[in-house]
Amino acid sequence: MTKQKFVKIYSLSLLVPFLLMVYPLFSLGNRATPFVLGLPFSIFWVIFWIIITFIIVLFLYRIDPDKDEEEVN
Amino acid sequence: MGQWQIAMIMMIGYLFVALLIGVLAGRKQDKSSLEEFTVAGGNLGLFVMWFLMGGAVFSAFSFLGAPGWAFSRGAPALYIITYTAFAILPWYIIGPKIGKIGRKHNIYTVSGFLQKRYTSRILAMLIGIITLLASIQYLATQMKGMAYIFNIMTEGRIPFWLGALLSYGIVVVYVATGGLRAAAWSDVFQGILMIVISWTVGLTIVNQLHGSIPEMFSNLTKSNPGFLEIGVEGSTMSPMAYTTTILVSTIGFLMWPHLFSKSYATNARTIKKTVLVYPVFALFLIPLLFVGFSAVNVIDSSQIGSPDEILPFLITTVLSLPGWVYGLVGAGALAAAMSTADAITHSASLEFTDGFVRNVKKDLSSKATLLIMRIGVFIIGGLAYFITVFGGQGLIALLLGAYGSIVQFAPGVYAALYSKRVTAPAVITGLIVGTLVNYYFQLVAETRPLDIDAGILGLICNVALVILISSFTQVKELPIAEEYRKIGS
Repeated sequence: MTKQKFVKIYSLSLLVPFLLMVYPLFSLGNRATPFVLGLPFSIFWVIFWIIITFIIVLFLYRIDPDKDEEEVN
Repeated sequence: MGQWQIAMIMMIGYLFVALLIGVLAGRKQDKSSLEEFTVAGGNLGLFVMWFLMGGAVFSAFSFLGAPGWAFSRGAPALYIITYTAFAILPWYIIGPKIGKIGRKHNIYTVSGFLQKRYTSRILAMLIGIITLLASIQYLATQMKGMAYIFNIMTEGRIPFWLGALLSYGIVVVYVATGGLRAAAWSDVFQGILMIVISWTVGLTIVNQLHGSIPEMFSNLTKSNPGFLEIGVEGSTMSPMAYTTTILVSTIGFLMWPHLFSKSYATNARTIKKTVLVYPVFALFLIPLLFVGFSAVNVIDSSQIGSPDEILPFLITTVLSLPGWVYGLVGAGALAAAMSTADAITHSASLEFTDGFVRNVKKDLSSKATLLIMRIGVFIIGGLAYFITVFGGQGLIALLLGAYGSIVQFAPGVYAALYSKRVTAPAVITGLIVGTLVNYYFQLVAETRPLDIDAGILGLICNVALVILISSFTQVKELPIAEEYRKIGS
């Protein structure tokens, strides 16, 4: 995979959870009920997607073609 | 021994340890090296880096302001954890690139970065001045937090001016002597302390007031319908305001010079790994929001001066907690404020020296530059202290305006990284107009079009001008522009 392609994948796959955090898509999560794990749905929604984001970044790092690049100056 | 005495002893003990760590970290390093002072030799490790970036987010705002938002506004407080989790993500891509450009051209600031690319002294000087004013505002907020904590936890025995002087004085000393490395290692200590304290104290408060978290929320949704939602009857913020607040904080985050410049302080791999574990910091903030929610319907907002006082008020007045909890919370809040204040003081001095002083008085040796930066730490500290203690309405408005203007750096920075067509006059005009628009809607206008955040309104004008003016000011090919675009991509 080339570097440019990775940047594209990185940006797009993290844009998705971000868009779920803001309007118009946040309206999906914007409700007090049902409660999940003791949390109102809106709060659960935000925390849930932050955890998913964390997992996505972990995965992206694994496929990063340059993650072991040594500095060449 | 009274509770306030235990608290005071713990907080002073904390300050002493913070000073010790800061000074020790800077020891044995080359004191005459500009590179050591500005970017810690470019070799900070992952552990330190993580806390350095995290400490900057955990500020007095998160410790006092986040519970305040949750208490007074409900669901809109979720914007805080949302932007904390997402704002760091672009750094994975742009951080290594900025770092490479910096190492190649010996750059350690935002103003240096833009000056090189756009070959414009005016731009660098503008960035230097805006950063200075914005940083002083930021510092004044932190200092107010520190002084306030000292005051309330010792039940008024340590006056406002002394609390601010004590805690911020220590920051100034270790930053001026040890530079970035000292700030970084104190942030590690302070970061760990804050995380432990926010979880233990946060959950204790919720349990004492409501029994458990689910119980708290079910009471809250019954008694205040709409409080935990956005843009419905009973909620405190419109969808547009919520969305644009998140956007402006997310875009602006990395434009803050103290975060931007960390790209120079380490290698690409450490930057990537820092981003990797960073969203966890957002989760650390959750208990602080819960503290705010737990106080709704328990405390009447007329009982406290401002919502930001809710956490200390709960601890000292409402709950019967032992003195050592006072001390812990005091130390945690001090740590939050100090770990932000050290990074800001450091970067404000760097930006102003590099962007402004060096362009007014050229041919400064690196030894003289270093000396000016060290002295700058004291001057900036003094200015911020003066403003915190004595105030002054006109001045505060000016600083607030600058604070909101940091996000206006974004078009110039991203264009430098990814476009070779954008020109200096375009970026300068965009920056000035964006700043003025932001200033107008933040401080002068009564209402905003469509309830859009002032910073975003400024940014829209800024981007439009950058594109428009670039299209007819391009005269010749700039080799450096092509080089910036090519490095690391």
